[in-house]
Amino acid sequence: MSLSYQKAPSTATLACLQSALSSLRISHHAAPAITHITRRNASHQAQGRANGAKDGAGKRLGAKKTGGEYVVPGNILFKQRGTHWFPGDNCFMGRDHTIHAGSPGYVRYYRDPVRHPKRKFIGIVFEKDQSLPQPTHAVRRRQLGMLAYQMPTPPSTEPLPDALTSTVTGSPTKIRDATAVSVRHSSKNPGGLQLSLRPGYQYRQSNYEIGRSGEKKEEAANAQGKTIRAFAKFKPGDRFAAWRKSALRIARNNERKAMGRGGKGGGKKKVA
Amino acid sequence: MALQRASRPVARCVRQSNLLNKRTLATTTIEPGFTDAAPPPPPSAPPSRTRNPLTASTPAAEKQLAQQRQVPVGSRRRRAALASTTQIPFVQLPYQCFQEARAFLREDRQEKLEAIRAQRDKIARLGDQVVVGEQDGEVERRKQREKENRVRSMGRRLAEMKVLADINDPVVKKKFEDGQSDMSKPIYRHLADAKWRSYKRVLLLQRLTQMHVMPDVLPALDPVVSTELAFPTSANSTTSKLRSVHHGDFVPSALAEHAPTLWIQPYDQGTRLCTIVVVNPDVPNVEKDGFDYRCHYLAVNLPVSPTDTRVRLGEVESQRKGDVILDWLPAYAQKGAPYQRMSIIILEQPSPAPTLTSPFGTAAQSRVLDVNQITEDPRYITRQGFKLRSFVDRYSLKAVGADLFRTKWDEGTAGVMQRAGIVGWDVEFLRKRVEPLPYQRMGGERYR
Repeated sequence: MSLSYQKAPSTATLACLQSALSSLRISHHAAPAITHITRRNASHQAQGRANGAKDGAGKRLGAKKTGGEYVVPGNILFKQRGTHWFPGDNCFMGRDHTIHAGSPGYVRYYRDPVRHPKRKFIGIVFEKDQSLPQPTHAVRRRQLGMLAYQMPTPPSTEPLPDALTSTVTGSPTKIRDATAVSVRHSSKNPGGLQLSLRPGYQYRQSNYEIGRSGEKKEEAANAQGKTIRAFAKFKPGDRFAAWRKSALRIARNNERKAMGRGGKGGGKKKVA
Repeated sequence: MALQRASRPVARCVRQSNLLNKRTLATTTIEPGFTDAAPPPPPSAPPSRTRNPLTASTPAAEKQLAQQRQVPVGSRRRRAALASTTQIPFVQLPYQCFQEARAFLREDRQEKLEAIRAQRDKIARLGDQVVVGEQDGEVERRKQREKENRVRSMGRRLAEMKVLADINDPVVKKKFEDGQSDMSKPIYRHLADAKWRSYKRVLLLQRLTQMHVMPDVLPALDPVVSTELAFPTSANSTTSKLRSVHHGDFVPSALAEHAPTLWIQPYDQGTRLCTIVVVNPDVPNVEKDGFDYRCHYLAVNLPVSPTDTRVRLGEVESQRKGDVILDWLPAYAQKGAPYQRMSIIILEQPSPAPTLTSPFGTAAQSRVLDVNQITEDPRYITRQGFKLRSFVDRYSLKAVGADLFRTKWDEGTAGVMQRAGIVGWDVEFLRKRVEPLPYQRMGGERYR
């Protein structure tokens, strides 16, 4: 029994006592009631995918060939996520970091501090007694792995047509001829147009051609003894022509003003 | 005119600075007819009354220019400024801070020149001293060695001081950046070397190591001379255009048919004799299922100095610049064979005896290799199976530089091989079939 007295009073008991004593209290702004203390219970989703699935199927990673085993080109030596192992001599790494054999031989797992201080390598040697890494300055061991055959159709041996001596052959527009569209000659397009596929998938003239269009039209008109110019070509010092031109302009402006559209801004005139 | 008023202060500055002694700070000698700036345009109103399109700024002058059938260059404001200031030489730029800094540097340089003079005297005095000791004794030999060491280290210090005297000179910096450096002067060599080491050498070393030239052709290589390679586009290398090739680039076989031009730039003083070897370590050998070496070019006794850098490999003999032992063989790789690395190695020929390098910088003479002796040795006159390691050891050469290009079969290769009389232009390499591993059938119960 003595043990039960030593125990601290439970929360429920304290709450009872608190409510009993509260009626006797004179001031109400006393310490906060114990019943108002909030509690958070330990609760955690324990089922389902709450913390990410950790028990998926195994991915069958790891060594597929042991050290010293005989392999042929293309054999998978090691499957991994990331690069735990690097391809050494006569090996190569696939798209998903898998190490493959590059030539027939025997597998070696090794480190090469000269090549890299931390990396682990998988390599291939051609003889059973050879080892990796090779001495630092030694010539690398390599295999040709090929055979020489007579070509079924011997290649033509004419010298190349000026491929080397001339750096630029023709204009760049001519190179793109495969993608060019030509527009026939018309009064609007004297001499026709050469439209080529420009960046942005547009068939249009090059900027240089566009810039020359006025000039070309004038040339075509000149050939027929005409001109497309509204005024004769500007000649510095020709005061009479300048006077005629300015007089025309002034007359035109006066006419426009008389029509009631002369003001700036081009909007409606304010009605008072 | 407001325009002329605006450009007046600059013009005044220039007029005053004309009083300054020109080239007081310059460390370089100047050739006659050469100035830091471009030749100044003629004044705006010379006696012949011709107008300069660069300087005509008034309407009247422009009219006269039009009568000369010329168009004014630039804005009117610019033309007025040019007319009143001409072209200011770099050293006379009218900035007070700049001029004061130059004066300060001038003083500093005088101090350094004094130090150089003192160092030279010291070395000369030390060189004159005779080592005293018992004749043919160990003590005397040791003292002699100590003296040689001291002279050598003092010489090194002297070379350093020469560079330090000029390193702050703005004219030197400008000339170097404008490509007008004189490689016979230590300061320009120093700057060029630093520039080469900052990027191009790193790139070269990367190419050499990643393409495994180092263990395959030579055990180790520490380039100290920079190289540039260019191929002529036709047989005549003097007249035809050159196409430059970056380290390790693929070169079309038609381009690599003729001997290239090589620029070898050493960064230390003096002329030395070099050997140039072009080795291909990737020649396929079907019998041994591996690769062989082939020498595409071998020339010895080529003089190379910081100012004379160009070597036309095809014209070494005709220009009497060295001895060709194996002439240029076009670079080629047969169809289907893997690409082949053509490594160009520059080897320095050693000095006849390990003598004391003069502290005043005249480099020791290189030994001339005996061509007859080399040509007697069948190992070094046969292209196939040429072992560069053996050659380097035999003549105690030192690899100082390298360049690299690659070649593979292309549409021009067959023609190149036929013209050069190389057999095997119609040979094709195909992969050898490797028997797959036997399928290990597991026990029958596995499939039940």
